[in-house]
Amino acid sequence: MTTQSIRPTRSLRWRVVDIVVASVIGVACGVLFVVWNVADNVIGDPLKALLPGLQGLSHGMWLIAGVLTAIIIRKPGAALYGELLAAVVSAVVGNQWGWLTLVSGLTQGLGAELVFAIFAYANFRLIPALLAGAASGLTMAITDLVLWYAGAGATFSTVYTIASIVGGVLLAGLLAWLLAKALARTGVLDRFAAGREVKAAV
Amino acid sequence: MTAPHVIARHDAESSAQSSWWTSVNPIARLGAAFAIALCLVLTIDWVSAATALALELALLPFLGIRPAQFWRRTWPVWLAAPLTGLTIVLYGETSGRVWFEFLFARVSDGSISLGVATMLRVLAIALPSVVLFIGVDTTRLADGLAQIVRLPARFVLGALAGLRLVGLLVEDWRSLELARRARGVGDTGRLRRLAGQAFSLLVIAIRRGSRLATAMEARAFGSSKERSWARPSTLGSRDVTVMLLGFLVGILSIASSLLAGTWNFIAS
Repeated sequence: MTTQSIRPTRSLRWRVVDIVVASVIGVACGVLFVVWNVADNVIGDPLKALLPGLQGLSHGMWLIAGVLTAIIIRKPGAALYGELLAAVVSAVVGNQWGWLTLVSGLTQGLGAELVFAIFAYANFRLIPALLAGAASGLTMAITDLVLWYAGAGATFSTVYTIASIVGGVLLAGLLAWLLAKALARTGVLDRFAAGREVKAAV
Repeated sequence: MTAPHVIARHDAESSAQSSWWTSVNPIARLGAAFAIALCLVLTIDWVSAATALALELALLPFLGIRPAQFWRRTWPVWLAAPLTGLTIVLYGETSGRVWFEFLFARVSDGSISLGVATMLRVLAIALPSVVLFIGVDTTRLADGLAQIVRLPARFVLGALAGLRLVGLLVEDWRSLELARRARGVGDTGRLRRLAGQAFSLLVIAIRRGSRLATAMEARAFGSSKERSWARPSTLGSRDVTVMLLGFLVGILSIASSLLAGTWNFIAS
């Protein structure tokens, strides 16, 4: 705790290393999305078509890029950038949404971004991460309900929205937080506040 | 799924298409796909979706995409569309006669017609979105995003640098596999090994990214000087035509549903 007095002042400007590492994280998440696209959609869809909206739960995995990038990089726009880039990777490899993947990436990223902005980009601990996952889930549900499930009844819309939020909290928020913590422990994030924090605590 | 494979497929896709289409700026394709989606997303009715689908299929031959390639890229859409329709048949807004009820599912006249409309609508929105993405070159996309859409150049080029690492990551994945075998770890428990190995790969990727950032900074990447572009990206008359055609498809679909009286705004 004595190190707090020499803590460097927080800068919200992106350094080059922030941009490049955010890109690496975004791309890595994009590759994960590609695997998830096949596993979740192509294999799971025939079964999930029968569910009254619970499919939103597993869709939470598509939200991890934004939260993970934000809690590691800790700059304004990080969630939006990470999620959008992961969406680009997903579309480039080839998925069932094409250009519209970018719309999803944009709205999902904005949802997470909004939460970190409300915390004034000063708090990237567990609670904001979980809330960002939830907000990202909410914006994903809205986008999906408008783009693909426009004719759905009230029950489906409600269940889908709640399931997406829960999925976002668990698969995006919690998982990203655990992952960031594990990454910090390896020392690979030493050039970031997220990494130095863990080192200082040891 | 491996990157060299993706890149190879990418090249094959580009060369397989007619030359005029490959020269269309990726930003124009993006514009066309978004114009169609923006118009169709407003309504859920079978007339607008069917009109759009018919127009799209009529325009498709001009893109010079080989049938094999078309089906390879779009089959998930053909699979997803009827399944999404099925979801709406079961859980869509109820109206008219109710045919079948089970737990939350309620199949009625209204939900059946909404389901059919949904199936056509998913096809009409997703097909052009996927087809217009076939053969998009990421470098040209980045050039267009930075120069035409005016996204911040540092981020666009950083993203491009990140994408270029994918090829290296595939090699890293192989070395990790070999190293783990040599050490005799991870021979059992496939899922656990995959998760552990994916984490190691992420660590390597971030480490490489940090080094790449230093190298890029050493070459004055991210300086405040104004950037010049080695590959200028502009929109020509051909690109504008493509975007206008996309917009036309959307407008004609809306007009057809208004004329037929089936217009059904999604929020109502």
